[in-house]
Amino acid sequence: MVLSIYVILSVLCFIGFSSYKAWKYATMPMHSRLDLYPVPKEAGRAEYGGSYYEETEWWAKPRKVSHLGEIKDMLMEMLFIKKLFQNQRKLWWPSYSFHLGIYFLFAWTILLVISVAWPATFIVYLTSFVGIVGFILAFVGNVVLLMHRVFEQDLKKYTTPQEYFNLILILAVLVTGIYAWSGSMISGQAGQTVGQLISLQALEVGPALTIHLVLLGFMFFYIPLSKMNHYIGKYFTFHKVLWDNDPNLPGSKVEQDLQEAAANPPKTKWSAPHMNEGRDLNA
Amino acid sequence: MRKSADLKPNDISKPVDQLIQVDSLKTLPGPYSKDGMEPDFTEPKEAWKSKYCTSLDGFVGIDTLVRPSSPEEEDEFVRKFISGLEKVFADSNNNFLQPVQLTMDYCAKCNTCSEACHVFEATNHNELYRPIYRSEVLRKIYKKHFTTSGKLLGSVVGADIDVNWESIARLGELAYRCNLCRRCAQTCPLGLDNALMAREIRKIFSQEMGIAPTPLHTKGSMLQLQTGSSTGINKAALLDMLEFIEEDIEEKTGRKIKIPMDKKGADILLTHNAGEFMAWPENPAAFAILFEEAGLDWTLSSSMIGYDNVNYGLWYDDSQAKKVALQQFQAAKELGVRRIIIGECGHAHKAAAVSADRMTSGDNKVPVESFLPLLWELVETKRLKFDPEKNNFPVTLHDPCNFVRQMGIVQPQRNILKAICPQFREMTPHGVNNYCCGGGSGFAIMQSQNFAEFRNKVSARKKFEQIISAFGDEFENPDIIKYVCAPCSNCKGTIRDMFEFYEATAKFNVHYGGLVELMVNALVSQKEPFLTFEEDEF
Repeated sequence: MVLSIYVILSVLCFIGFSSYKAWKYATMPMHSRLDLYPVPKEAGRAEYGGSYYEETEWWAKPRKVSHLGEIKDMLMEMLFIKKLFQNQRKLWWPSYSFHLGIYFLFAWTILLVISVAWPATFIVYLTSFVGIVGFILAFVGNVVLLMHRVFEQDLKKYTTPQEYFNLILILAVLVTGIYAWSGSMISGQAGQTVGQLISLQALEVGPALTIHLVLLGFMFFYIPLSKMNHYIGKYFTFHKVLWDNDPNLPGSKVEQDLQEAAANPPKTKWSAPHMNEGRDLNA
Repeated sequence: MRKSADLKPNDISKPVDQLIQVDSLKTLPGPYSKDGMEPDFTEPKEAWKSKYCTSLDGFVGIDTLVRPSSPEEEDEFVRKFISGLEKVFADSNNNFLQPVQLTMDYCAKCNTCSEACHVFEATNHNELYRPIYRSEVLRKIYKKHFTTSGKLLGSVVGADIDVNWESIARLGELAYRCNLCRRCAQTCPLGLDNALMAREIRKIFSQEMGIAPTPLHTKGSMLQLQTGSSTGINKAALLDMLEFIEEDIEEKTGRKIKIPMDKKGADILLTHNAGEFMAWPENPAAFAILFEEAGLDWTLSSSMIGYDNVNYGLWYDDSQAKKVALQQFQAAKELGVRRIIIGECGHAHKAAAVSADRMTSGDNKVPVESFLPLLWELVETKRLKFDPEKNNFPVTLHDPCNFVRQMGIVQPQRNILKAICPQFREMTPHGVNNYCCGGGSGFAIMQSQNFAEFRNKVSARKKFEQIISAFGDEFENPDIIKYVCAPCSNCKGTIRDMFEFYEATAKFNVHYGGLVELMVNALVSQKEPFLTFEEDEF
């Protein structure tokens, strides 16, 4: 029962801490524009990196925004890690294997819950298949990424002990998971454990699975507190920085936000002599 | 001195005379692949070593960064930097806080950005110029001083750097080894921006420590705020120059043009980089010819800063950028124009249209447009008539980072060139994937000590390689005139110096210039060639 509560609590903390981090970024002050092209929401122009600035009197014309284009690019990044594929294929293979493995393991978790409520044979087989594939992909990706960091000088010199720890922690979760779940995954008994877990019953698990669940719980606590929470940051870097080219036009949401921000000028001032010349531009 | 391959971020504080040397450069193509085709670097002078910070790579970018004369001054220097770094993450930096925090928090150190950097490539992967090197140094200092994990766990989380005068001064210099072209940010799988980090370092130096290169600050934005222009041109000098330009237009083209000045209620306020009036008067002349022939309702402004669209604050200082931008809007408001059209200046485009977009609102603003869509409209609608045969020589296009990669203006200039230049060919890569000319972010005007050598041999190297390659076999043929169209004053300045340094014009008949000059040259109404490819055309 303690173990069940621990695991569920860790998942709740994962959600809670991640949400808090997202809230922190979402409530940061509006920043200066830093658009960088291509911006995928530029309808008809995203392909070559164009923008509304290619039109005369753009400010008097309705904007052509393609939310579909933005979603498509976002999905390409989420599902295929497109930027890494385009710009560094060598690291894309292990990184994609690793992330795809995590996606599979996420799907496996959901399927396990489904299989508790609906233990049809094909669901059980599908669940096992997804779990096995997930563990293999994530394990292989993790190990290859770790090897790159350990043996390549260009990566090694920038890697801190904490960053090795991050990879090793996930590796430990995967290795203990493979060891602990391997039997029950094939037999389909993993669903029973999940059933016990979500109904807060005492878990009938051996030492291996106990160690795995303890590590898993710790990982859930830790990820949102570390830079591994880039699943949050990435939304903001693209959508709220690089792709945010909404102009400050009269009556726009941008103008409204700026006016609100102007009502709360910063209190901290820069110190160089020229900063205090002329009108107060800290505002 | 360390070998560049062995260099690590925390070496920045190592007590050595010079951290690394630029000991390897990428081989240029064509005739420049032979030995002796380019001057060597000159060693930094002893006097510079004792006065400035030459201990990074031997170059001096910040001529106002002088060595302290006492331990107290040294301590004060470090204290101010740390204080400035704290302000980068406080409300004093609200307008950049989110993007800076994101880049500080999330770098996976995958080095995907490295291959995108022209400086890193030009130096055959010199570690010092890897885009994440300076960010990682800054990150380590930040963690050590401002994060709980850094204070408690130190080197475990990477908070393992010694902060002293040398390390901070080197970091300041290193911020001026990046052109802020943001090509690296295009490739980052996490959408992070190492160029922004370089700019934040420049910002700390300027806004907190009062240190910035003289051409950018004292003789740049400060001069502009005092006299109206970073060139020092005041209103009287401007009017003299325009008279001279009008006379030259008449002499050269037979057109009697009175350049409209301070015309109230005009549709368009055209703004130039004031450097054009002095260095390339044929450029504002060409604008005047095109605008008049098209019958546009336009004007220039003679009011304070209204005649100089540069905004050097964009490169190093938010407050300077804002002061200049607001005065430029003010000049347009005073005239009651409908819109501001930015002439051939890349950073002025970004400063006025993008960076200043959220500096003020409502009635304080005037819509800002690029000259490019307007000119394309004049070509497309045939309001201007051209004979492309007049431009029948090889032409290639340089894409200024500020209005291409950072504003998304890609097609109009290509459409124009395709319409008026039969031998137009692209560089590789081009458009939003272009490479910086090497003069971006102030390098074009920074001439202190040996800094021009860094620009000519290192930061501009990739662009020179692209230019040579774009002309292929024709490059080496001095009988063929070749033209690099660079519709940006700073890019033109860089390419001008590049061609002088490599003697490209003298040896291979390769020239540079803007877009409007090519357009005037191809006008049906233009009897004599506007471009004569002589030394003093105008």
